[in-house]
Amino acid sequence: MVRTNFAGMVPVPSGRPVVRAHDLRRSYRTRAGTFRRERKEVEAVRGVSFDIERGELFGLLGPNGAGKTTTIKMLITLLLPTGGSAEVLGHDVVADAREVRRHIGYVFGGDRGLYERLSALDNLRYFAELYGVPPREQRQRIGELVEMVGLTGREKERVEGFSRGMRQRLHIARGLLHDPEVLFLDEPTIGIDPVGARELRGTIATLREQGKTILLTTHYMFEADELCDRIAVIRGGEIVAEGTPADLKQRVTAGHVVEVETFGLPETSVDAVRLLDGVRSAAVEERGQAQVLIVQVRPGAEVTSLVLGSLDGVNVGRVSSREPTLEDAYVELVSAEPAGAPA
Amino acid sequence: MRVLRLVAVSYWLHLKMIAVSVFEGVFQVIWPIYFATVAFLLYGRSDEPGVLVYAGLGAAVMGIWSVVTTTASGLLQRERWLGTLELLVASPTRFALVLVPITTAMASLGLFSLVSTLLWAWLLFGITVPVASPLAFVVSILVSVFSVALLGFLLSVAVVRYRTAWAMGNLLEYPGWLLCGFLVPLTLFPSWVSWISYALPPTWGMQAIRASAHGESPWLDVVMCLLVGLVYGVVGALLSETVLRSARRHATLSLT
Amino acid sequence: MTSLRIFFVGGLISFRALFNWLSPWIYVPSLLVAPIVQILLFAYMGRAAGQESDAFYVIGNAVQYSAIPCLFAMANTVAGERWTQTLGIVLVTPANRVALFLGRSLPVVVNGFIVSMFSLVVGGLLLGVRFPAASWLPLALIVGIAAVSCTGLGLANAALGLRVRETAVMSNVLFGLLLIFSGANIPVDALPGWMESVSRWLPLTHAIEAAREVAAGATLAAVSGLIGRELMLGVVYGAAGLVALRLLEAEGRRRATLEIQ
Repeated sequence: MVRTNFAGMVPVPSGRPVVRAHDLRRSYRTRAGTFRRERKEVEAVRGVSFDIERGELFGLLGPNGAGKTTTIKMLITLLLPTGGSAEVLGHDVVADAREVRRHIGYVFGGDRGLYERLSALDNLRYFAELYGVPPREQRQRIGELVEMVGLTGREKERVEGFSRGMRQRLHIARGLLHDPEVLFLDEPTIGIDPVGARELRGTIATLREQGKTILLTTHYMFEADELCDRIAVIRGGEIVAEGTPADLKQRVTAGHVVEVETFGLPETSVDAVRLLDGVRSAAVEERGQAQVLIVQVRPGAEVTSLVLGSLDGVNVGRVSSREPTLEDAYVELVSAEPAGAPA
Repeated sequence: MRVLRLVAVSYWLHLKMIAVSVFEGVFQVIWPIYFATVAFLLYGRSDEPGVLVYAGLGAAVMGIWSVVTTTASGLLQRERWLGTLELLVASPTRFALVLVPITTAMASLGLFSLVSTLLWAWLLFGITVPVASPLAFVVSILVSVFSVALLGFLLSVAVVRYRTAWAMGNLLEYPGWLLCGFLVPLTLFPSWVSWISYALPPTWGMQAIRASAHGESPWLDVVMCLLVGLVYGVVGALLSETVLRSARRHATLSLT
Repeated sequence: MTSLRIFFVGGLISFRALFNWLSPWIYVPSLLVAPIVQILLFAYMGRAAGQESDAFYVIGNAVQYSAIPCLFAMANTVAGERWTQTLGIVLVTPANRVALFLGRSLPVVVNGFIVSMFSLVVGGLLLGVRFPAASWLPLALIVGIAAVSCTGLGLANAALGLRVRETAVMSNVLFGLLLIFSGANIPVDALPGWMESVSRWLPLTHAIEAAREVAAGATLAAVSGLIGRELMLGVVYGAAGLVALRLLEAEGRRRATLEIQ
């Protein structure tokens, strides 16, 4: 199926992915010190490859600083890759930047990126012009979008009085003005209250149903689970796992998880647990006063007493055993030692 | 057609934004009036006929120059703080077409300054500026505004790498007042200095405005003003592409 | 002793902390180049109008421009701290307020002095104005006193910083008033009567007058009356500023306006 949009027909050969990243790399040069400038090269993205098919909602999941935003900025032409290549709708993001920009929408999280002193309507009008939305269609399009993101009645107010959630919804509307074929959403729910975030996820799901191809970055696992068709987990600038949420769960469903509530858990004990036979990985999560030790156990192994034994001298609270969740898969992926990367 | 509309809408919205900020707006108008007042007092002691009209016209136009030099240099920095710079760059519109309407809106603020300085001169110093050919006068002023805006566009992209770019305004405001023939006749300067003067669009604009006020033909000066401005615009357009490429290479667009 | 330490060390540290943005990229254009061009602007206007000598404009504008560093820096010591949210922390310390704020004004005075002297020397060189060798020392003294009294006005302006947010605008407004009224470019006695009487109550007016007389060969003793009046005005403004700071601090505590959000 070929969809039309305001900028005309978008001829993407069928069967070709809408977004394709091939061995994408980006390093930053940072300078420190005033007098003796020390140059340091930081590799933010080290060889990321993935394809996104038409109509797919693809999640890039990873902790802060994993390289999600850098990857997205290369795809939307704001950053030049230092290695590898990427194309969107068949256009190269370096050589064909303007063509790429015409067909993509970009929305980032947080409350910046709006003209505070203009009304929501004026913000949308401005960007409608910048995206070349034909004047005749502008009014209707803006009206529809304002309604879709639930800002009807407030659109004539200045943005400076808007809450974070309202700003974020206005951002979404802005990103959709030119009815882009592909949407890039960079941590759109960051900093919004739970109700607002849930509404926003609803909006994203609707967009997916409308057939948009979406790349979503997030560090909320449940968000990726709820929305995405496919997830790539990125850590230290590399993709460490890719698949459907079910695939990723599969990786850890064999076996089970032991959770031990402790108080004042030293790092050495965690290391000791990691070395135990039958333990696949161990991670610590702070919960209020307590540290919960989450131990992934290999199928068939029984490690509870061994684990408790290596916690000698540590105050131990509740101990429980449960089935693994996607979150466990994620925690395991992002907290394991990087395979080939320098420490 | 689309470009015209884009320019008009962007111009209008940015003008709205600038005007909303009371302090930016009001103070930009007041600031040149201080210098105008000194100029009126100073020239008021001279016996030469017509010298007050000369000072009144010059002081009125000064505001266009100052508003652009002081605000355009910080333009990209402000967009960066707002977080909109990346969005502007990510749009398919050429960067020059994004920025020129903004600097034109800034230059237009100078029109308020122009009117209020003329009123100030009239109310407090009894200086009336006779305008022999009003149409030519208005055209001269509008062309001056646009040319200065094009210079402001070049300025805004030229200083993008400096974190303290807003201070560049201080570096340019006074020299422009000195060199563009607002309050000091160019004939007082050594000839190498007048070369600098003629490379600045307001010099031609000022000559056109004076000529049309006196009933002489301003058109050669108007055309020169526009041409000099366009040169700045073209250089700015070329530079903006280079700057953007470098920003994409060095990751200096967001700096959050 | 403690107050003395607060005066010197505290003053220098806070100045440095608030002025870490005062890089060469800002200092050179705003505080070194701008005053020189201001001198040239008015000197050339003077030449065009056939009024006064180049020396008149060099001295007038060099001294008047110290208002920029003095007013802005002083206002910043208060408003700037409100921004960085350290004002509350400073004000809850038991430090002696007078020592605290006067200490802050010391580096400001030094900076104002440097800016004026630089403008005097370079502006004079550019326009070919020569001051007699013997007049440099008294000139420097007068310029220093001008910086002190202008900083006094700056302290009063800084007190306003506790009330209004846009202190930069206030500083600019005062700078403009001084440009017109201080006699930097029009002799005070050539101003309309009411303007002249305003001038007599502003800092810088008497210093500029004294500096011009000294440059023309007068002795320090001959201008001691002018210098005394200049110093007195500085003290009056400075004291008013301290009192206002005290009152506004108390009011700010009552109405919770000391911190921005």
